[in-house]
This record gives sequence, structure tokens and C-alpha cells, in this order.
Amino acid sequence: MTHPTSALDDTIHQRVRLGILAVLSESRRADFGYLKEVLEVTAGNLSQHLAILEEAGHIQIAKGIEDKRSRTWITVTRKGRAALASEVATMKALVEGITIAQRT
Amino acid sequence: MNADEARESLAFSEYARKRARDDMGRPWLALVLLASLSVVSLSLTDAAASPVGLFWMFAGPVGAGAIALYASRRNQSSGIDSSPLGYVAITVGLLILSYTAGKIGFAFQVPAVARFGPALVVAAGYLVLAWVERSWMVAAVSIALVAVTVAILGFDLSSQQSKALLFGLYGITLLAVGFSVRVRRQQLL
Repeated sequence: MTHPTSALDDTIHQRVRLGILAVLSESRRADFGYLKEVLEVTAGNLSQHLAILEEAGHIQIAKGIEDKRSRTWITVTRKGRAALASEVATMKALVEGITIAQRT
Repeated sequence: MNADEARESLAFSEYARKRARDDMGRPWLALVLLASLSVVSLSLTDAAASPVGLFWMFAGPVGAGAIALYASRRNQSSGIDSSPLGYVAITVGLLILSYTAGKIGFAFQVPAVARFGPALVVAAGYLVLAWVERSWMVAAVSIALVAVTVAILGFDLSSQQSKALLFGLYGITLLAVGFSVRVRRQQLL
């Protein structure tokens, strides 16, 4: 029998990366500045987390120029959506399991 | 990871989702109000093929497209972008279904279907929207609209009286939804 925490995905369950996927799963895409503001992180910190998620195939990053200024749009992939759903389900199961264990 | 950490992560994830939902200027309210106005207008004309009915069949989709375009541009500048296509599909679907309901009612000489079919289609549309938005308030509006329509059907009212009641009650309900959403958004901002 494996421990429930072994089902957690190390790439995602870090707080900021979980937040990035949660925001992206609700939208078609979000830009770098928006994520930085909502998740209250520095640009450097956010870049690092985005690079990890992109490398794992959970997000796609597109850079371009809009209205004469650079814009970075981030989109969640199918793999990213599935991974987020699985991670949330695992965490809920973990919380429920511990709550039941504490009651008995 | 212990239970507290898991709970904290879940809460943060939910906060991020909710914030994204709130920040997206989703055009659903404008689109649904447009569809509702079109449908109530169709109900009142007593003939879906009348000039008013035909006007709304064209004005509805064109208006929905214009609202979607505006919402898309607004979202792009705010940094979080949602696809308005689902909402446009709901609006156009509502118009087609309500138009069909009216036509069927007249074709088969069933005045109740001709008069109230489009209104019930609007209520069903609100229910779909409630599911999309995960909004209990919109679901409650849908149920209220069905209740109002069934209640009007239950009373033996004249055609003019039932039209006036239907239009008045739908109008008041839709305005109330519009204002409450507006107030809620202002409180969030």
C-alpha cells in the first residue's frame, strides 16, 4: 500500500505553481503582469515557476508585441489541466482521510 | 505534506480561481439580457414571423457578436482573457430555440406554447448559465422565472393581461439581477 502523499505531483503542489494553474484553468490565457499581481510574487520568482511548469508541459508561453509593448501570455495545456484536477483531488482525499482518522 | 498544508494549498487554489473568475469581464449578463429582451419581444408580438420578430432574429446575433468583441478587447487589456464563444453560443441558441418554440406554438395552434414557450426557453438558458458560472443566484433566477411563467399559466388571464404580467415580471427580475451583479462587482473591486 502506498502513502496518499506519493500521488502528489512535486511539480505542481508548490503553492505558487498551484496558483498559476488555478488561474489559467479558469481562463483562456493570462499575462505575466496579471499573474505577478494576483499571486503576489516578484518577476524573477514567477519566471522560475513558469519555466518549471513549461518544462513539464503544463503550460505554454507566448511572447509578442502588442500596442508597441512586449506582452507575455501564458496558457494551460490539456496535460496541465489534468494534472491540476488530479492534484486537487489527491489533496482533498488526503484532508478527508486525515479528518476521518482523527475522528476514530 | 500534512493536513494543514493541504488545506492551505486547497484554499489558495480556490482563492486564485475565484479571483480569476471575478477579474474576467465575462459578457454573460449583457448577452443574456439581450437574449431575454429579444425573447420577451418575440413573445409579445404574438407572431415570431412579424417584423419585430424578424428584426430580433437579426439584431440578436449581431448584438451578441458586438458584445463579445467588446468583451474580448477589454479582457485583453486587463491581462486575463476568457473566450466569449460559449456565451455567444448560449445567446444565439436561446434566440433560435425561442423562435422555434413560438413558431411551433402558432403552427399547432397552441397559444400557451406560442406565448410562454420562449419565456421558458429563457429560464432554461439561465439554468445553463448558472452551471457555467457556478452561480446559485443565477440558478435561483431561473427557477423564479419558471415559477412566474407557470403561475401566470395557472391563472385564467386574458391574453393582454398575461402578456403585461409576463413582460413586467421578467423585466423586474432581469433588472434586479443586473443591479445586484453590478453592486457585487463594485464591492469586489
